[in-house]
Amino acid sequence: MDTVQFLMDGFGVAMQWQNLAFAFFGVLIGTAVGVLPGIGPMSGVALLIPITATLTSGLDPQSAAASSIILLAGVYYGAMYGGSTTSILLNTPGESSSVVTALDGYQMARQGRAGAALSISAIGSFVAGIVSLLGLTLLAKPLSELALSFGPAEYFSLMLLGLCAVSGLAGSSITKALIMTVAGLLLATIGMDNVSGVSRFTYDNPYLYSGLEFLTVAVGLFALGEVFRTILDRDNGDGKTAKVGRILPTKQDMKESTGPIVRGSLLGFFIGVLPGAGATLASFFSYIAEKKISKRPEEFGHGAIAGVAAPESANNGASGGAMIPLLTMGIPGSGTTAILMGALIMYNVQPGPLLFEDNPQVAWGLIASMFIGNVMLLVLNMPLVKVFAKVIDTPAKYLLPVIVAISIFGVYAVQFNIFDLALLLACGLLGYFLTKNDYPVAPLVLALVLGPMIENNMRRALTSSNGDFSVFVTSPVSLIFLLIGALWISIPLIMKMRGRSVIINEED
Amino acid sequence: MSRTFDRYASIIFLLIGVFFIVESRKIAATSYGSNVGPDIFPIGLGILLILLSIKLFIEALKSKQETGGEKPDYKRFFIIFAAAVLYVVLLEPLGYVITTFLFLLIGFQVLERGGWLKSIVIAAAFSFGVYYIFVGLLQGSLPGFPV
Repeated sequence: MDTVQFLMDGFGVAMQWQNLAFAFFGVLIGTAVGVLPGIGPMSGVALLIPITATLTSGLDPQSAAASSIILLAGVYYGAMYGGSTTSILLNTPGESSSVVTALDGYQMARQGRAGAALSISAIGSFVAGIVSLLGLTLLAKPLSELALSFGPAEYFSLMLLGLCAVSGLAGSSITKALIMTVAGLLLATIGMDNVSGVSRFTYDNPYLYSGLEFLTVAVGLFALGEVFRTILDRDNGDGKTAKVGRILPTKQDMKESTGPIVRGSLLGFFIGVLPGAGATLASFFSYIAEKKISKRPEEFGHGAIAGVAAPESANNGASGGAMIPLLTMGIPGSGTTAILMGALIMYNVQPGPLLFEDNPQVAWGLIASMFIGNVMLLVLNMPLVKVFAKVIDTPAKYLLPVIVAISIFGVYAVQFNIFDLALLLACGLLGYFLTKNDYPVAPLVLALVLGPMIENNMRRALTSSNGDFSVFVTSPVSLIFLLIGALWISIPLIMKMRGRSVIINEED
Repeated sequence: MSRTFDRYASIIFLLIGVFFIVESRKIAATSYGSNVGPDIFPIGLGILLILLSIKLFIEALKSKQETGGEKPDYKRFFIIFAAAVLYVVLLEPLGYVITTFLFLLIGFQVLERGGWLKSIVIAAAFSFGVYYIFVGLLQGSLPGFPV
């Protein structure tokens, strides 16, 4: 069977009525998550995992996994659409990936062209979504076949590369990012060691035998941490929302943004594929690139439509690109994809090269549903943009306690014990203090998800080499991965030493 | 603020590293059929964590003292956090609906006084709504009401 056949089967899965409903709710909630300032794609996806788990509990494991991942991925790319709304109307980005959109988008809104800016960003996001999905469809098979040829040593090095990339680009201090990564890996060792069956660091606490629950930690660090920060910093976001005005862009607008949308989509896609880079960097780079090649660079910052079209296409392209390493190799490149991976593992579906062989229903169903979801988003965002603009006015007074209540409900419904709730609150506190002091939490969650796999592959490689550590450098593929990983960490350091400013990737 | 925090944090991370190394040595080192036991990975990571926290400590000494911005809103935060702790503790004895309702009501009122009627309606709708949808429709299980 070839790719087209698989994709058609995928559409068969995605077109089932419950999956259409799941995709619809995913993108709807995602757009709302993108619009609401206090809650990002990471906390949005984490909060919804327990809810999808209950919704799908009646289905067989395969369909349950497919349905929930369809919804969760919908939240992820839906948030990329929604994030632009607040950037344009309020000048306060809903997501870090929409920061640059505010530069020109808000200016356009002040000139009464908010509607055009919003619809161009929806169109750009849509084109980018389709471009990145085509890329995903084409690359899925060759890349997963390549990944199948890797042994444990190669896998170990590849995952290490993923961690290095995320740490190298996260936050302002690499030392802090690395500390968070190592701490995450250490936390991942708590529980029953699944190679030897020895229990580690459990101290006869029955809840610890299965390890710290990834879901609890992620919801606590991201969702609760964010709520606590909003309360403590009195960040109530009182701003005046600009009027949306005429929605359809003019011919002139379309003409001016076609180039930026195409370039932004491609650039975003390739940056998204790189581990660690992600949507924020993609939107930033595409904005700079457009400014460089523009014939009228002086217009940027004063309401140039290209300055909205390019970054909005790029961040959505990147979110599609980021699915590639996750699905084909099982290596999440960002915080949000790490959470998606955690969700798949909860359903006993292991992302990676075997996903396409063992669970084609999940893999291709997801890809097909993303095509459908992007169409839904375009339809939702063009006429309904005024409705979503209203969501911005949700008072923080009601929103924050409800997020806490949803977190507690979600964790309790899945874990069913008070220990996890206590851990949840502790992680919330920790998330607040760490983020406040520039300790990025995304690498910690990524390390927590990858930890057991890194350790297993390392020990498998070492067992077959009789404990000889040189196995990681004698395999050429593994050596290349390790070298790239080392470069990823050291290049920003060297640039910093030379006094160059380094672009960093805020959470996305 | 950040500088002091970094110094304390580096010491805490150092202690965590030491803790994991010491505790890993207590794990039975033998692993059946393999000379790579379950202790190697945590020990290696512990050493790495210690080295990184020393680096962080040095960086924290070098960095300039930052002047803190606006003082965080500790009062409201503590009330809400305490309410959340009580919520968690009382969830099983008192049941989901009552604790959720009370927590939300406290939360709404602490963040912004007034609008009691609206607060009560939203809190009641959320707690009853979630309970009946989850338990009634989805056949999930939540602690109900105190018997």
